[in-house]
Amino acid sequence: MTELLFRLLRTKQGAVGAAILLVVTLVCVAGPYVAPYDPEKLDFLGRFAAPGARHWLGGDQLGRDVLSRLLTGARTTVPAALAATLLGTLAGALVGTLSAYLGGRWDEAIMRTVDAVMALPGLLLALLVASTLSKGGLGAAAAIAVAFAPGMARVTRSVALTVRRQEYVAAAIARGESGARIVLREMLPNVAAPVVVEVTIRVAFAVMLFATLSFLGLGAQPPAPEWGLMVSEGRRFLHQAPWLVIAPGVAIALTAIGFNLLGDGLRDAMNPRDER
Amino acid sequence: MTATAPLLEVTGYTVDYATRAGDFRALEDVSLRVAPGEVLGVVGESGSGKTTLAHAIMRHLAGNARERAGAILLDGQDLMRLNQQELLAVRGRRIGMIFQDPATSLNPTLTLGRQLTEVLERHRGLAPRAAWQAGLDWLKRVELREPEALMRRYPHEVSGGEKQRVVIATAFAPHPELILFDEPTTALDVITGARILQLFSRLRRETGVAGLYISHDLAIVSRVADRVAVMQRGRIVEEEPAATIFHAPRHAYTNALVAAVPRPERRLVFDTPAAASLLAAEQLSVRYGRPGLFGRRETLGAHDVNLDVRAGEILGIVGESGSGKSTVARALTGLAPYSGRIRLDAQPVGRMGRTYRRSVQIVFQHPDSSLNPRQRVDEILSRPLRLFGGSVAEIPALLEQVQLPAAYARRWPHQLSGGEKQRVAIARAFAARPRLVICDEITAALDVSVQAAVIELLLALRRRHGTAYLFITHDLNLVRQIAHRLAVMRGGEVVDLLPVEALGSGCEHDYTRALMEASPTPAGRGTA
Repeated sequence: MTELLFRLLRTKQGAVGAAILLVVTLVCVAGPYVAPYDPEKLDFLGRFAAPGARHWLGGDQLGRDVLSRLLTGARTTVPAALAATLLGTLAGALVGTLSAYLGGRWDEAIMRTVDAVMALPGLLLALLVASTLSKGGLGAAAAIAVAFAPGMARVTRSVALTVRRQEYVAAAIARGESGARIVLREMLPNVAAPVVVEVTIRVAFAVMLFATLSFLGLGAQPPAPEWGLMVSEGRRFLHQAPWLVIAPGVAIALTAIGFNLLGDGLRDAMNPRDER
Repeated sequence: MTATAPLLEVTGYTVDYATRAGDFRALEDVSLRVAPGEVLGVVGESGSGKTTLAHAIMRHLAGNARERAGAILLDGQDLMRLNQQELLAVRGRRIGMIFQDPATSLNPTLTLGRQLTEVLERHRGLAPRAAWQAGLDWLKRVELREPEALMRRYPHEVSGGEKQRVVIATAFAPHPELILFDEPTTALDVITGARILQLFSRLRRETGVAGLYISHDLAIVSRVADRVAVMQRGRIVEEEPAATIFHAPRHAYTNALVAAVPRPERRLVFDTPAAASLLAAEQLSVRYGRPGLFGRRETLGAHDVNLDVRAGEILGIVGESGSGKSTVARALTGLAPYSGRIRLDAQPVGRMGRTYRRSVQIVFQHPDSSLNPRQRVDEILSRPLRLFGGSVAEIPALLEQVQLPAAYARRWPHQLSGGEKQRVAIARAFAARPRLVICDEITAALDVSVQAAVIELLLALRRRHGTAYLFITHDLNLVRQIAHRLAVMRGGEVVDLLPVEALGSGCEHDYTRALMEASPTPAGRGTA
């Protein structure tokens, strides 16, 4: 594990991505303590305050300090998006690999079910799940995971099909290994590389999807400072106070880029072929 | 050897590959000449630089190649000085090339006819209609049946041998002066390969083209070429007329290459196995199908196969690709569902339990795919040890048995060479302490010299453990060196099952005789 980290940091993308995510993590941990104001404190004199010495990133329509909201909001957005993506990925990767391993009728049945689920747009599916679950961050995260799983299953299966044909899988079957072991130990590590890359792209989507659910009232509830929520609320004042959208937008983008770079680095580092 | 001006002349050619670890010398001071109409064979193991040589002549070197010295002259013109535009007039037009794998040298999205006529239109300036006609003629010349239908087919609709013939037609069609052959029969099975070689010699007589024939197989090269150059680690160590290189190799390395070529008359196994049957297959049939939600389409992989392997015996199975050899191996190891009966020690085998799986182990063909790339060697070996009652403490001893250093336990598969990977796969099979090891084309992907070492290893392990082998191969010469009995398969059936000594006595099946004739005989005595 430390070896992997070391190799990851030696790749250029991995190092930059890790640096960005380190900052994001620090914000998640220390954000509320370093925030200059209470993120929910209203200040009518500071409504739409332009960024300046008093409010570094300006004030919003209710006079709340944008920087404080940004620093506090990281705690909701980043872990929720990450957890949702990981959960969806893990479930999808398992289903996809299992489907490729079983093959034949099972594969057909599993993949047709996945197709049926994928026929629903991701947002609609997430809405459906989120509305049946409890309101709030946890329900929204679970909904995003459900929306992601079918796509991940499809991506994983296509990779797993090639892995399934490799002779080391045949060797494992021939020596009588259990199906669980073959799927988990022989196949899954070999489908990981493309899956990891897919994850890092999807984290960015998850942030946006989480924001959308919050916007529709199914995710984080106002007045909670959540990045996506901040974008949706600030949209109405785009001409008047563009910083309301720019600040959380940049935060979301930076986080997404960080994950993307980290993913690129991971893909290179996880390929044992590059070890010399 | 003659005073005539050479068609191709390479002098003092040296090239390095720039890598992170520094420069790696691929070719060092290589000099060779090919006279018009002459075929020069280049023999060497993987990594000896023979393919780099072909790419250098085609001016198609990898981006990190650094040419240090030398010249490559085609009819007196220095190819190294040509620009891209001028090279277009040389590649394909004056120098043709035939690669190892016909599956990848044709464009899968274009019909065969389109690819052939494109070459003719481009290099001979023919009008589309004339090019189509010329293409048809060429398909006839490479002995393809129904050329009209073939012109409209896509590469995936024809067999490997047919594809290679189309590739040959596209290489010969522009009337080049020189053709580079890079292992053109290696990906084909013996009979198909032998027919392709016959085709070469006929086309060569008809067109008078010169050739540079690159292969790791000395037997094939000595049949095709007039002279043979032997390459070792980027240098040409010996150059001899093809007719004599087998009988009088001068260089030690050539000697080793000659010795590694399997020759049926040189037996390596002398004992006679016990009469008791170890593993028997009765009426074994395998159907391959794609079961879906809506019924299944089936093909027959093996049909009513009756075989038995005796304790300590080496039973060879030979046949072309698609003959069902590997299918039998897959059925015997529980990888393919079968009908019929399998007996171990005369006891019928129902569900393959631990005892059976332990007794019957398999080694696969492709060293690159038979080891999990995400597991180190010790992890790979520890699984069968745990499953079959061994202990991980045996790993160093296992590695020692297959003549690998104990330090290899911590290596990743990609850090091993093809031969080393295959040794690990053999160690994995022997970790179970099996009584029978099925070897499914285990040397097909290896160089001849590495193959010889792997065979030697298998025989040493057999002496030590008394293991029986089911040795599947398409190389009849190889199996005749080691097998006690031989099963010949065609179209999913066993057509012949006989002791090796009975080969050539006249009692063999017609197909067996055809296989024997197709197996390349070394030296200048073969048909050239």
